[in-house]
Amino acid sequence: MSYAFLLLGILAAIVLALRADWSVQSPGAILVLLGSFVYLALKAESSRKKLDELYRLRAAYDQLDQQAKLVIRTDLELHHTQEELDHRLASLMSLHQLGRQLQVSLHPEEVFSKLESSVVTNFGFSKGLLGMAASFEILEWRSLVGVSQPIADDLCKHLLESGLLKQILTHPAPKIFHTGSVSDPAQRKLLDLLGVPAAVIAGILPHAGPTGCLLFGRTRGITNSKADEELVAILANQLAGAVENSALYEKAWTAQQELEAKVQQRTRELAEANTALVRLNKAKSDFVSAVSHELRTPLAAIKGYASLLGSGQFGALAKAQRERITKIEKHADLLAQFINNLLDIARIESGRVTMEQRTFGIEDFLSTVQDLVHPQLEAKQIRYAVDRDGVKELLGDAQHLQRVFVNLLSNAIKYTPAGGSIRLGLKKEGRSVLAMVSDTGCGIGPMDLPKLFQEFYRANDPINQEVRGTGLGLALVKRIVEAHQGRIWVQSEQGKGSTFFVSLPLEPATTEEPSTT
Amino acid sequence: MVPEAIRATIGWSEKADSLEAGKEAAELALSRLSLFGPQLAIVFGSSWFDQWLLLQGVHSVLGSIPTIGGSTAGEILPSGPVSHSCVVMLIASETLSCSTGMGEAVDRVPREAGQQAAFTAVRGFHGSPRMGFLLFGDGLVTNYADVVRGMQEVLGTSSLIVGGMAGDDFRFAQTYQYVNNRVLSRSVVGVLLGGPIKIGVGCQHGFAPVSKPRRITRAHTHILYELDGQPAASVYEEYFGPEVVQRMRQEGLTRQSIAYPLGIQPETSEAWLLRNVVSFGEDGSLSCSGEIREGSWLQLMIGSRELALEAARKAAQEAIRPLNRIGCALVFDSAVRRMLLGPQQAAMEIAQIREAIGPSIPLIGCYTYGEQAPFGITSTQEHTATQTGSVLVVALGT
Repeated sequence: MSYAFLLLGILAAIVLALRADWSVQSPGAILVLLGSFVYLALKAESSRKKLDELYRLRAAYDQLDQQAKLVIRTDLELHHTQEELDHRLASLMSLHQLGRQLQVSLHPEEVFSKLESSVVTNFGFSKGLLGMAASFEILEWRSLVGVSQPIADDLCKHLLESGLLKQILTHPAPKIFHTGSVSDPAQRKLLDLLGVPAAVIAGILPHAGPTGCLLFGRTRGITNSKADEELVAILANQLAGAVENSALYEKAWTAQQELEAKVQQRTRELAEANTALVRLNKAKSDFVSAVSHELRTPLAAIKGYASLLGSGQFGALAKAQRERITKIEKHADLLAQFINNLLDIARIESGRVTMEQRTFGIEDFLSTVQDLVHPQLEAKQIRYAVDRDGVKELLGDAQHLQRVFVNLLSNAIKYTPAGGSIRLGLKKEGRSVLAMVSDTGCGIGPMDLPKLFQEFYRANDPINQEVRGTGLGLALVKRIVEAHQGRIWVQSEQGKGSTFFVSLPLEPATTEEPSTT
Repeated sequence: MVPEAIRATIGWSEKADSLEAGKEAAELALSRLSLFGPQLAIVFGSSWFDQWLLLQGVHSVLGSIPTIGGSTAGEILPSGPVSHSCVVMLIASETLSCSTGMGEAVDRVPREAGQQAAFTAVRGFHGSPRMGFLLFGDGLVTNYADVVRGMQEVLGTSSLIVGGMAGDDFRFAQTYQYVNNRVLSRSVVGVLLGGPIKIGVGCQHGFAPVSKPRRITRAHTHILYELDGQPAASVYEEYFGPEVVQRMRQEGLTRQSIAYPLGIQPETSEAWLLRNVVSFGEDGSLSCSGEIREGSWLQLMIGSRELALEAARKAAQEAIRPLNRIGCALVFDSAVRRMLLGPQQAAMEIAQIREAIGPSIPLIGCYTYGEQAPFGITSTQEHTATQTGSVLVVALGT
C-alpha cells in the first residue's frame, strides 16, 4: 500500500511538472516529488532493517537445525548403547532361563533338543540349529529354529563334507562368518545354505557325554561380533556343562538302578532262603518232636525196668550192681528231661502251646520257685536274696514262668562257687516287670554271650566240662519268655558274675512292640 | 431397544509345539465363554510357529467359527507384551454380524487384492448395517495405499477400514495372514463387522518434528527420491552422519532409523504421517514403509519413551470415546515402538492402555509392521492411511 502511495506521489509530481513546463512556478510539484523521495528513502531503510532481521532469523534457524543434527547424532549413540544393553540383558535372561531348563535334563541327548526360538531371538539371531555329533562323520540336528528340515539336511551334509564339523569339534571356540569377510568357499556356502549374511558356529565338547555343534544365523548382519562371540561361547559352555551333568546323572541313575536291582535280587534270595530255613526248622521241630515221642516210650520202659531192678524184686543186688542201676536211673532221668525240653521247644515254636494270660500273686510263685531250688542252694551253701520292690503280681502262664525262674536260678547256682550269693530282683518298669537274676559266679566270656540262648550251645568253660547239661535250658527259657511277649538278655563279665534280665508285660499285648534288646 | 452387549474372552499359550499351542489357546478362550457361542475368533501367532499347524490347532477346537488374524512381531496380553506365543480372542454377541474376506497377491496386484478381500466379505455379509472392516495385511508389502483404495471402491469411501500389518519377529522374510482355516502370505484378509455395535478407533504416535521442513519434490509410491531438489539420502545423511547411514545401508531397518522416522505432512492436514526408512537405493533414494506423496512437507521426527507412553494413553481414550459400553479392545502396536520402548516401558504402555479402557475389559493385540487407521484431524473415514510407529487401539462395544 505504501509503495502505491509512493508511486501515486511520483506520478502526481511528474504531471504537475509537465503542466508547468518544468518552470519554477510549480513548487507544489517539487514538494510532492521531494516528499516522495523522502518517503522512498525511509521505506528503503525500513526494508533493509527487516531484511537484516530475516537474515538473522534464518541464521538462527539454520543454527537450530545444526543443533538438531548434533542432538540426533548424540541421541543416536545413546540409542545404540541402549540397544546393546537391551540385547545383552535379553541374552543374559535367556541364558539364565535356558540354564534352569537344562538343569532338569535327565539324559545328555535331551540337552540338544532344548534350543528354543526365544533363546535364538533373544541372542539377536533369526536362525538356530543344535545338533549331536557322534563323530566327525555323524551329525544329527536335534533343534531347528527358523530352518526347515531340508535346509538342515543340506547344512549337515555340507558341514560333514567340507570338514567344518571336524574343525569345530577340534577347535570349539565360536567362529564368526560374515559375507563381507569370508574367503573360504566352504564358509561362504554355509552362509548361502543358511540364507543369512552372518553366522556363528561353535562346538560343544563336554568332558563326559556326546559332543555337539551349535549354529546361529543372523539375517540383519552382526552389530557386535565380539559380544556375539562371547555370548555364543557362554551358551556353548553352558550346553557342554549340561551334557556333562546329565551324563553324570544318567551314570549315577543307572548305577542306582543296578544297585536297587541287586538289592531286590538279594532280598528275594534271602526271603527264599528264609522260607527254606523256616521249612527246615519246622521239619527239624517235627522230626525232634516225632523222635522225642518215640524215645519217651522205650525210655519209660528203661526207667521202669531199672526201678524194678533197683527195688530188688528180682533178687538182691550187689553193691556194684546197685550203683550201676542208680546210674541208669540218673541218666534216664537226664534223658527224659532233655526229651521234655526238646518237646517243649518244638511245641512252643510250632505254636501248639498256648500260654495262659492270667494274673497271679508273686508271693506264692516265688515261694514255690525257692522250694524247688532250695536243695541246690543248700548243697552249695549259697546265699539267696529276693527283692520284690513292691511288685505284687505277674501276668502269664505261672507254670511256664516257674520253669523260667527255676532254670535261671539253677543255672546261677550251677555256675556260682560254694559260699557265693544269688539275688533275685523284681522291679516295675511302666507296663512291665523286670526280673533280674544275679550271681557271683564265674561269668560268661564275650564270645559266648551272643550264642547263649541258642539250642544245644554250651559255653566253653571249665564248669561245663565238669557239669553235664543239655544246652537246651536257656533256649527253652527264651522261647517261653518270648511266647509271653517278653524279652530276655544277659550282662556278664568273666570272673565277676552274670545278671539275666527278663522283662514281662503286665498287660495283655494287643500289638507287638518293637524289640529293643 | 438396548443393543446386546459384546462379550469377549481370551486364551493364550506359550507351548513350543505349534499344534498344541493353537489348541491350548483356543480351548482356554472357549472354556471362559459361558453364555453363547462365539461369532468371531481373532488369532495372533508368533511367526516362529509352524503357521499351518498353529491354525490347525485353533481350528480343531473352534471348528467353523469365522477366524481372522495373522503372524506378529510379538503378541500382547492384558498383562503385557509376550513373544513366541499364540493369543486368541473370541467375540460373542447375538446381534453381531461378521463376514470374512481375503485377497491374494497384494505385492503384484494390490488394488485388485483389496477389491477381492472387500468383495468376498461383502458377499458373505447379511442383514445389519456395515460398521467397519478389520483388516490384516502383509507387513512386508510397503505400499498398502492401493490395497486400501481397492477396498474403498467396494466398501465405499465412508467405510471405516482399520487394522494391522502382520509381522515376522523382525526377520523380514515372510508374514502370514489367517482366514478361517487358511494360512496365506502376500495377502490381505479381513472381517466385515456389522450390527448394532460401535467401533471406536484411536491412533497416535507421539513423535514430534525435530528438523527443518523440506518439500518432497520427487516421490513415487513408497520411494522418496528428492527433498528440496536434492537426493533424499544426502539430506538424511546430513542429520545422521555418514557412518550411521552406512550401517543403515548394511543392516536395513535399525533402531536408529526407527527412532527418527520421517514425518510427512500432507498439504491438506496438520497431522504427521510417519514413515520408516526401510532401505537405501543406489540412486540416493529412500525406500519407505508406506506411500509418499509428492508436494508434501517432510520433517525428521524425534520420539521419546515419555511421548510414546502418552500417545498410547491418548489412543486408548480416543478409541473408547464413542462407546457407551466397551466389549473388548484390540491393540495394533508398531513393532518399532516395542524396540524403542524396551521391555519394561513396553509393558508400561500396555498398562496405560488398560488403565484408560478399564482393567476388566478383555484386551489382546500384536506388534505390527504397519497400522491402518483413519488419518488426520477431521477423522473422516475417507482419509484412511497406513501408518508406522503408531499405536492403534480398536474398541468394540455398543
